[in-house]
Amino acid sequence: MTEQVTTKPADLASVPDAQVVKFMPRAEKSSDKPAEDEEVSLYEVRKKIHPRAVTGMFANMRWTFVFLTQALYYGLPWLQWNGRQAVLFDLVQRKFYIFGLVLWPQDVFYLAVILIISAFSLFLFTTVAGRLWCGYTCPQTVYTEIFMWVEQKIEGSRNQRIKLDGEPMSVRKFGLKAAKFSIWGAIAFWTGFTFVGYFTPIHVLGHEFFTWTLGPWETFWVFFYGLFTYMFAGHLREQVCLHMCPYARFQGVMFDPDTLVITYDVERGEPRGARKKGVEPASIGKGSCVDCEICVQVCPTGIDIRDGLQYQCIGCAACIDACDQVMDKMGYPRGLIRYSTEHAVKEHWGRKEVLGHIIRPRVLLYAALLGIIVAGLGWSLLTRVPLMVNIIRDRATLAREVEGGNVENVFRLQIMNTAEQRRKFVMTVGGMDGVSIATTTRFEIDPATTATEVLRVQAPADSGHRGSNPIYFEVRAEDNQDVFVHEKAVFIQP
Amino acid sequence: MQKLMSILWPSFLVAGIAEGIFFTLVDPQELLLFGEPVHLSRMAIYSLGFFAFWLICGASSLVTCYLRNTSDEVNHHPTHGHPGHA
Repeated sequence: MTEQVTTKPADLASVPDAQVVKFMPRAEKSSDKPAEDEEVSLYEVRKKIHPRAVTGMFANMRWTFVFLTQALYYGLPWLQWNGRQAVLFDLVQRKFYIFGLVLWPQDVFYLAVILIISAFSLFLFTTVAGRLWCGYTCPQTVYTEIFMWVEQKIEGSRNQRIKLDGEPMSVRKFGLKAAKFSIWGAIAFWTGFTFVGYFTPIHVLGHEFFTWTLGPWETFWVFFYGLFTYMFAGHLREQVCLHMCPYARFQGVMFDPDTLVITYDVERGEPRGARKKGVEPASIGKGSCVDCEICVQVCPTGIDIRDGLQYQCIGCAACIDACDQVMDKMGYPRGLIRYSTEHAVKEHWGRKEVLGHIIRPRVLLYAALLGIIVAGLGWSLLTRVPLMVNIIRDRATLAREVEGGNVENVFRLQIMNTAEQRRKFVMTVGGMDGVSIATTTRFEIDPATTATEVLRVQAPADSGHRGSNPIYFEVRAEDNQDVFVHEKAVFIQP
Repeated sequence: MQKLMSILWPSFLVAGIAEGIFFTLVDPQELLLFGEPVHLSRMAIYSLGFFAFWLICGASSLVTCYLRNTSDEVNHHPTHGHPGHA
């Protein structure tokens, strides 16, 4: 037998060689093939994956995103703005507060636009460089990363974890598992608490928690979301990406031959095989791949990237980091596994040509659409009038004659002051000779509040014609002439 | 377990979307149940609403799963084993 390769990533340099060469069987290779005419289960029994810890540029990048996204997620509910929580989706009051912006159910349009923007951003990123979202920022990746870090700190390296899982229950194993599950539980609880803190003011929630007066539904949702975090990040992990994520199934349609994906350079790597350190591949008739399988061990979804692009690959680039370290030890150039494109591998393009092909019709189209929608949203938000008026005709009475030979129509009026200050509004009516408002025309409305009034409108019986006459109302803020709404309505003459 | 998940999970996703759309358009305080206003807090109605949606969507997934049974499974064919679904 030829000498086994002795390369190991730096962080595992202290582990004896004997442990490093014991590989886990690959999850996707099954030796017992069923007879062809037999219907078989589509699912195989899951084999637990123990990903090996990895360090390197892409791992650092992922940790950067873990810190950024989680600082945002855990921190945002604690920020204050105008004496209230800066970001609060107040479902009970049916108002969304996002810093200076107050959104009402009527503003669902903005929410829809934000969703469209998210979708197009995802399309754009995916077309340019594959599953960037999955590899670096998806909550599933982020929490799995955090939970695996805890696991590694408590149970040790990949080999120590495999050994521990194979051992019968003992005091030591029980202690380690209990410690791990407790810390996972604490993180999951805090995540659930923060989640509910986006819907119920988090300061109130915190006070209620410590005084043991948390409402039943709030308690329920804290634990429900916490349990999901715990299960997804602690136990289900890659299964969520493989079987539960809809995006994983259709992300492939955004790919084209110029999309940057994690690629194993088959031409350079094959034929793979073990060899002594520093041996030139050409001198032994082999490629650069030393078949150490470290790229498989670090893979969180348990695939072998050398088999080519697979939907299971979440684009985390752990195998790139791992392989680069092996190449360094062997004294070979880095990049046997690297971000590259289908075209680049086929045509032997360099970095410059790869980058040159990023700008292409598909990317330009996504970018242009995204730009237009973002600009439209920005313009709409900047010119948004913090006032909404609803005028609905009273269904009980169409029209009635009143004193002085006038005809009266009754409307139900709703004025929503969506600004964060108390405001006075003046209402006027026009569009018909002699039309006037018989009820109050001045309203003072609290910040982010709706006023509902009955509105009686009168016009001389000889004004307009029989049937429907178009009229209009104008509601204008006293302190700011630019804050006004022009609303059309119909006056009925009997 | 796989079957259970393939009922619970897609219905969970769709229930979330349905919940969002429904309660954006409808104020729970304006709902009538058997002609009577619902005397529950908004939080309770949102929560119960979500589970109602989940239940309905789950029922749909359940029927899909049930109708997806292969002929062998319906016939309880003795010669073909199904290692996945014991």
